[in-house]
Amino acid sequence: MSSNAIEDKPKNAAFRVGLGDITPNNLGQLKRLNTVLFPVVYAPSFYKEVLEIGEFAKIIYFNDVCVGAVCCRKEDADGSTSLQNLYIATLGVLAPYRRLGLGSKMLMHILENAEQTSSNESKIAKVYLHVQSNNEEALEFYKKHGFEVAEKCENYYPNFEVSDAFKLEKVLTA
Amino acid sequence: MRELPQKEANLFKQILRCYENKQYKKGFKGAEQILKKFPEHGETLALKGLFYNHLDKKEEAYEFVKKGLRHDLKSHVCWHVFGLLYRSDKNYEEAMKCYSQALKIDKENLQIMRDYSLLQIHTRNYEAFADTRHQLLELRPQNRQFWIGLAIAYHMMGKPELGIKVLATYEETLKDIPTKPDYEHSEMLLYHNAMLEDTGDIQAAFDHLSTIEAHVCDPKTLKEKRAQFLLTLGRQEEAVAAYRTLIAHNPDNFAYMDGLRKSLGLDNDNLTCEEEVKVLDVFKELQKEYPRSNAAKRLPLRYATGEAFVKTADGYLRIMLRKGVPSLFVNIKILYTDKEKEQAIEKLALGYLAALDKSKCFDTAGSSIEPPTALLWTLYFLAQHFDFKRDTAQALGYINRAIEHTPTLVELHMTKGRILKHAGDLAGALDSLNEARELDLQDRFINSKCTKYMLRADKMAEAEKTVVLFARADIVDPLNDLVDMQAMWYSLEAGESHIRQGQLGRALKRFHQVEKHFVDFTEDQFDFHMYCLRKMTLRAYIALLKLEDQLRSHAYYVRATQNAVRCYVALFDKPNGEDSEEMEGMTDAEKKKFRNKQRKAELKAQKEAEEKKAQAVLEITKKGGKVDEDPEGLKYSKTEDPLGAALKFLKPLQELAAERIETHLMSFEIYIRKNKLLLALKSLLKSIKIDANNATLHEQLVRFALAVQKAGDTLKPAVKSVINKHWETLYQGKDLSGFNAQFLAKNKDLGSVPHLISAAIAVSLIHPNDKTKAEEILFAMGEDKYVSTRSLENCLLSMKTLKSLRSNRLQEFKTKAAKWYPKATAFQS
Repeated sequence: MSSNAIEDKPKNAAFRVGLGDITPNNLGQLKRLNTVLFPVVYAPSFYKEVLEIGEFAKIIYFNDVCVGAVCCRKEDADGSTSLQNLYIATLGVLAPYRRLGLGSKMLMHILENAEQTSSNESKIAKVYLHVQSNNEEALEFYKKHGFEVAEKCENYYPNFEVSDAFKLEKVLTA
Repeated sequence: MRELPQKEANLFKQILRCYENKQYKKGFKGAEQILKKFPEHGETLALKGLFYNHLDKKEEAYEFVKKGLRHDLKSHVCWHVFGLLYRSDKNYEEAMKCYSQALKIDKENLQIMRDYSLLQIHTRNYEAFADTRHQLLELRPQNRQFWIGLAIAYHMMGKPELGIKVLATYEETLKDIPTKPDYEHSEMLLYHNAMLEDTGDIQAAFDHLSTIEAHVCDPKTLKEKRAQFLLTLGRQEEAVAAYRTLIAHNPDNFAYMDGLRKSLGLDNDNLTCEEEVKVLDVFKELQKEYPRSNAAKRLPLRYATGEAFVKTADGYLRIMLRKGVPSLFVNIKILYTDKEKEQAIEKLALGYLAALDKSKCFDTAGSSIEPPTALLWTLYFLAQHFDFKRDTAQALGYINRAIEHTPTLVELHMTKGRILKHAGDLAGALDSLNEARELDLQDRFINSKCTKYMLRADKMAEAEKTVVLFARADIVDPLNDLVDMQAMWYSLEAGESHIRQGQLGRALKRFHQVEKHFVDFTEDQFDFHMYCLRKMTLRAYIALLKLEDQLRSHAYYVRATQNAVRCYVALFDKPNGEDSEEMEGMTDAEKKKFRNKQRKAELKAQKEAEEKKAQAVLEITKKGGKVDEDPEGLKYSKTEDPLGAALKFLKPLQELAAERIETHLMSFEIYIRKNKLLLALKSLLKSIKIDANNATLHEQLVRFALAVQKAGDTLKPAVKSVINKHWETLYQGKDLSGFNAQFLAKNKDLGSVPHLISAAIAVSLIHPNDKTKAEEILFAMGEDKYVSTRSLENCLLSMKTLKSLRSNRLQEFKTKAAKWYPKATAFQS
């Protein structure tokens, strides 16, 4: 390799990224994404909830093309009536569009919104999710964003070859 | 008795005002009040009729207007009212007669004269229009509208120099020319200039521009005209400067750039090498000056050749693929008329794909890493490119890769559908389109496209369900609303689907809808005759008149006509119902059995449908909608005179599309069936003049000769002598077999499948008992030289021809065709 090879290293061309709402009209795109990204088939009730959760379910656009999505649901926190937990059900980006910061962008959007709940909503105590135990890439990704392993859930995915999962969570400071 | 007492006379004036102000109910009451006292007052009776007309009571309207006239034949009001009534029913001829009567009684009635002139221009009776306009001007020379009306009359008569004189005279009488920008005055001056241009005296038009400049408030037109005139006058340097100014205003206007190129003297169809270099330099400069201009980047692709083309195209494609412009291929494919350019583009795009796969760059030198969408759009481009070449396998390969890459992109599924459609798999095409539609439910375009594919696959119920998804929520009968909205694409596609399903009545109903829309377009111009003069939108008005005159040469009208003629001809040939596609090739006994079976099924379906319909009718009428009295279109399919109906459809094209061979080919089909040999001959001669080697024409020539033969001695000598006179032109002194052989020999090297089909049909007509010869001719299409015209459409046509010959080699053909078009469902057994 010549000495100036480093300077000649190709640069990434500029691109545009944007988040968009999920609506009844583009729900087909979310379904399409989930079919490709996850081995789980989601029930119609899942998609119904997605339409009602506002900022906690988003589609991400790369150069105006829909390439990923994140969907969460709210759950009541144990033993509290005023606190809720946010569960990230799905977060994924199509293979060709990974390592471009799109996942981080979606996760940061979720965390920011979880931290600023408006006055008439319950506060969100923590954000959590499950990751298949062998998914190093995902584990690293969430740890980078301040998530910690809360527990190991054995046989969480009974139908998969690797059936264990880690439960990852991030407690939000009030 | 016409004079009314004071009180009633005032009331009469009031109801006249009510009519002008569209207060029809109030006016109606007033009229009744007068009639209580004077039940035989003619003018009031007539007016009452007119009010009835506006209150949607046609019968009463005519009754009272006529009654009024009977009581007062010498009243111009009664005649005027009668004319207005006819006019509202679009019976212009009768209306004009009434106006002319009214004017005989009251020679200087401005209102009637004005109404009369509207009908004259509407029916394009320019001479009479000019007359009336002249009278109006003489009566009211201070009125600008009348001056301009007369100028328009002369202009439309093809005498712009007279129109100019009128306008010039009027302009001279103007004492105070508006100093502030005045749109109406400005428009009149620009119209004056447009007429000058129409005289062909460009110098005069050019000089005129500088005299009006100060008063024109449309500076863009002024500049455009100046540049255009300078170019025409050969004042190149000034033209160059003028076009450069225009480009500075809008660097994305193709016409301005064309103007600049021509001004620079680079205007040949085939540029020399030096000229090419010059043109490309001009665009390079423009690109530097206007880096955001698409026109400056795209236009050089037209002019560059060889190495220069590759370099220019390379730059252009990279920018567009990086940016992600879905329409890129549509924009590029126009260049493919030049094979060399097509190959160059293919090579470039394949090169990008290889490099992107390897290193995410457009080339191996690796200038910059492209976004993942660059690969996506490159795959999309290649899929379209190979689809354009009808290379289904490659096209599908690329589009499937693209879908795997980014399955959420609507365009990809749409293109996959298009590829499958071209390959003859209509059901598969429809599935892809439906997938695309489900990805974006708020996109009306994809919804309509999907509907179209459903109709192509003859899935009428699904199509109806899909297309109404975008109907407005408050519409009672959304399918009928499509007709009201003049959605002609839908009518045409639905009608063509009905033809395929053998439902000719329903099909004709659709084509007549299209025809009705064109009638409406013509009618719609009526309001503009007055409006444009009042609002002084003169140039737009002239453009409208010219457009209306050409209206029926529009592709949609032509398509509706071709289909309608096909239907009517089929109805004439087989009044008992056209064979549906599945019936082709059956024996008569089989057909009878099939028809009986069909009829039984139909009866059953009809019963069910009627029950459903009763329900639907109840619902629709409850909501105030209209009920379709004739959904089957029996009015059309049971017509006494299908050929007459066909001819009526075709008439406008014989005038407006006389340069299209299809017009005369259709005419022939009608005349030969009407046994009008001379008119058939005339159609043939016209076709020969347009394209003597047209495939269908050949078959028609043979049919004509056979018809003449059959008529034999029953032909009138006068007819016979005319036909004889042209015989040599038609058949070059050959007998029919010789004529057909000559046709085949002549087209041997052409490699044209349509010519084979025509020759095969011809031979089967000449030798009705020997189909082997016809089969032999058709099967020649397997030879390599026919590859370029062995399109799916032509293969389907060949199959149809074999079926109608009752050929034993049908299966053999299907097997062959299935190899050429493995995805086409029609050839699968």
